[in-house]
Amino acid sequence: MNGPPAAPGNAARGQLLQWGAVLLFFALVPLGRRSFFITMANEVLIMGLFAMAFNLLYGVTGMLSFGQAAYYGAGAYTVGLLLTRGILPYFVALPLAPVVGAALALLLGPLCIRLSGVYFTMLTLAFAELVWGVAFKWYGFTGGDNGIQGIPVPEWFHHPLHYYYFTLAIVVAAVAVLRRIVESPFGAVLQSIRENPDRTAFLGIRVRRYQLAAMVISGAFSGLAGGLFAGFHRSIGPDMLHWTKSGEVILMSILGGASSFFGPLVGAGVILFIEDMIGKYTEFWEIWIGGIMLAIVVFFPRGVIGTLYQWTRRKGSGERDGNAAAHS
Amino acid sequence: MRNKGRKWQGMAAIGLVLVMGLADVALAAEKIVIGGMYPMTGRGGRYGLDSVAAAEIAMEEINAKGGVNGRMIDLIFTDDKSSTSYAVKVANRYIKEDKVNFLMGVVSSAVGLAVTEVSKENKVIFVGTDHASTALTMEKFQPYYFRVSNNTYQSAAAAALYATGKKEWKKYYVIGPDYEYGHRTWEDFWMLLGKKRNDVKMVGQAWPKLYEPDYTPYITAILSAKPDVLVTSFWGGDTVAFIKQALPYKLFDKMKMFNYDAGGNYEVLEALPNTLPKGLVLSARHHNNWPDTKENKEYVKKFKAKTGRYPSYAAEGAYAGVYFIAEGVRQAGTAEDSDKLVAVMEKMKFKLPEDPPGFTSYMRPIDHQVVQVQAIGETVPNKSFPPATMMLGNWKIYKAEDIIPSAEEILAARKAAKK
Amino acid sequence: MDANLVAAQLFSGLTSAMTLFLVASGLSLIFGVVNVFNFAHGSFYLLGAYFAYQVVSVSGIPFWPGVLLAAVGAGIAGGIMEYVFLRRIYGRGGEAGFQILLTYSFILIIDDVVKMIWGTDYKSIERPESLSGPFALGDLSVPRYDLVVILVGILVAAGMWWIIRKTRFGRNLRAISANREMASCLGVNVPLTLSLVFGMATALGGLSGALSAPTRTVTPGAGIEVIIGSLIVVVIGGLGNFWGAFVGALIIGEVTAFGILFLPQWAILFSYAVMALVLVFRPEGLLARKGSA
Repeated sequence: MNGPPAAPGNAARGQLLQWGAVLLFFALVPLGRRSFFITMANEVLIMGLFAMAFNLLYGVTGMLSFGQAAYYGAGAYTVGLLLTRGILPYFVALPLAPVVGAALALLLGPLCIRLSGVYFTMLTLAFAELVWGVAFKWYGFTGGDNGIQGIPVPEWFHHPLHYYYFTLAIVVAAVAVLRRIVESPFGAVLQSIRENPDRTAFLGIRVRRYQLAAMVISGAFSGLAGGLFAGFHRSIGPDMLHWTKSGEVILMSILGGASSFFGPLVGAGVILFIEDMIGKYTEFWEIWIGGIMLAIVVFFPRGVIGTLYQWTRRKGSGERDGNAAAHS
Repeated sequence: MRNKGRKWQGMAAIGLVLVMGLADVALAAEKIVIGGMYPMTGRGGRYGLDSVAAAEIAMEEINAKGGVNGRMIDLIFTDDKSSTSYAVKVANRYIKEDKVNFLMGVVSSAVGLAVTEVSKENKVIFVGTDHASTALTMEKFQPYYFRVSNNTYQSAAAAALYATGKKEWKKYYVIGPDYEYGHRTWEDFWMLLGKKRNDVKMVGQAWPKLYEPDYTPYITAILSAKPDVLVTSFWGGDTVAFIKQALPYKLFDKMKMFNYDAGGNYEVLEALPNTLPKGLVLSARHHNNWPDTKENKEYVKKFKAKTGRYPSYAAEGAYAGVYFIAEGVRQAGTAEDSDKLVAVMEKMKFKLPEDPPGFTSYMRPIDHQVVQVQAIGETVPNKSFPPATMMLGNWKIYKAEDIIPSAEEILAARKAAKK
Repeated sequence: MDANLVAAQLFSGLTSAMTLFLVASGLSLIFGVVNVFNFAHGSFYLLGAYFAYQVVSVSGIPFWPGVLLAAVGAGIAGGIMEYVFLRRIYGRGGEAGFQILLTYSFILIIDDVVKMIWGTDYKSIERPESLSGPFALGDLSVPRYDLVVILVGILVAAGMWWIIRKTRFGRNLRAISANREMASCLGVNVPLTLSLVFGMATALGGLSGALSAPTRTVTPGAGIEVIIGSLIVVVIGGLGNFWGAFVGALIIGEVTAFGILFLPQWAILFSYAVMALVLVFRPEGLLARKGSA
């Protein structure tokens, strides 16, 4: 994504191949005839979308947000609250999830982008914790620490396969939009902000305005992912807003490779799969997950996908990959 | 360069499909499989690991006698991380992959509320062993849920009876963790006490966050309000930290501390070997030294032999859960037909270590809540369960039927929630 | 409100503030000098508490030497973490994300290691006999141990001021904090200094854990609970500003102590509310360094 451009023909073919592989994989999951795979794949899609939304800020624009769970949770609570109170039907409530996510980002964003670098990161974390505190405490409205259960989505969605294909359709559409954004001139500006905000500003670009726009877009897609999750588990709770949730998408993006477009999605799949496998066998999952994270950080500086790719390239041609990983 | 990157991603994706396909295949169903979910890390870890150990003891006992109707019991456990979303996923895996016959467990009420939805939808019975939120048997009741340990209402009702008898207890102060459990434990008690006594009043309240490390400002505020009784709805480590910090202020000489749901849990008594004050009024959902029956002693001894420590009350809940399931399967003659099981289980009696002589715990059809005797005691010196040097004594016993909500109350609560 | 209550709350707020400061000071130091947000800082607090339990309650070493040993132990663990792992990612593209993952992985690892060694029971250490009672300050009766904790907090603050301002090591710290490359060019041994700072800061975390062990619950999971509180303190005071942490801790401690008298139902939101106010009006924190914004 941020390497020197390849020949146009190649790029188109490569892109097709990439989309094909991802679509094929997710379309084929139900053939496994194991309904738990469908549940897993559904979660991978939702978290993958969330991670890609996060990565629009991190990998593309170079802003490390540690508070994306606020927007994800806001989307989930939008759907959860509107449905349990019978205010709006699902098909109206779900589109409102990204709207609320974006609105929240529009509210908090201007306060966050006044700072940069790791100060920005801490500020996003602080605001997200504030949002968490409100959701945790406000029993009358959010159900407090108990959250909301039994969210009444249409009966037809109770079948895992139906909801799976619905999620797949929405996520594919959302990812296509994200892709268009990244490849648009707007996306190019975001990438130049990542590479060098000062120089971008010298070009007469109002950096902060673009950063805010990136936060709002990312907030919208995070909210959409949250809204999808509310219909998926039909139970939501304040842990969706907690900083550990924000940490999860950082992990997914970096693990999959923040500098590749589909990296976060792959990272989501790998993390959720590993988490489930390890959790199944041992109560000492923390040391395993921690150990794996540590190994990835130390040995895979470009994420698993990026680093493996680099290794094979070195072997193949001895050529060095000039990509710079995401800066922040 | 880009294409190759993408090829890589495609290959990784396909690899993932292969790995998932080759992953182990669930075993078929001769055994009665119980899927247990307990926290094994973080603050709730002690309860989860105690529950696992006690459930295993129950399983070993039952299987040693030839199982149930010739079928052995099999337990699988996963750390639910006290996270609702993770627990829902685990419950789904249990049902869809491991083909469990029963779900069991859960320490956190929030997790319980999420798992009961999964149970309802898949018509798989969920046996609650250690979460106390009354909502699960009242407003959020669903037919495939059963709870084999008492809920906060029962503790609060017994406490209200206890407090009614204490004429000198007039001024109350409450401090508890700021989440549903902390509030509900107090509110049920205060509401019930208000029906019996009109000379009591609340002189203050404090709601620090759950796991608050530092209670000093709260303690000085409590002291200045000069209550007769300090109700605390803390559990576990929060009780320990609060007592440690209140000790040098001599708080326990100036008022009675009353913690009727979880304060008398063994891990609290054990954590303060030399400093736990005498005369705290406490209770728990199971006591290692009450009732003084052969069954209870036997159970505590077995637990100690297996783990090297004495059990917290969560353990007995899980032990009860396995026995409850086994008895249900025996009487219903099936582990697969959930509706038949429900019909049997909701009227079932089952003997537990915590039953005093002449009483057998039983399930109530209207709310699937176990009906049990409740005992409240005071801390007294007792070194028979080291490292604790204080255990509960001077017991006051409350009849099971006196501390449960009436059918009308339950139906009214459900009706109110429907609106 | 009578004067006695005001004095009592003032004092208990101060006690809270000093314990908060002890944890937050190390976090702030690492942030300011090493430019890392050490998510695992709470885990060193946890390690300090368990080390103290091990040496004091199990091995029977007297309390104060035991606390010191525990702090040193936590500092060594922290130094190793920096020397073996953290320094591999300095200057890497996207460093901040890797920092979070690396330090977060240590929370998980340390939590499980603690569980493997010490189990899940609550461990207890008693206050030294001579400090277990109250101390009369006029009409006010305050726990002696808390007085000592306040004194330690003030001593640490003074000691750190001395180190940072008056020693050669401190000059190196300030140089690195201002400009790492430049400091290196001027002959400061940057890698060594960073390891030392990291060790020193995690020793402060360990010290706060060890000092808290007699008054709090020693249990796995306790580490992660103090980290957000410390973060709030650090953010209020100004990231990476050592005195900011001191001021931030005082504000949070006193706001909580008096807030609970008026709004007991909302105690959970006090620190968040203070932080939000500060962030809206002074996003860089009350005592921020110039140029950080």
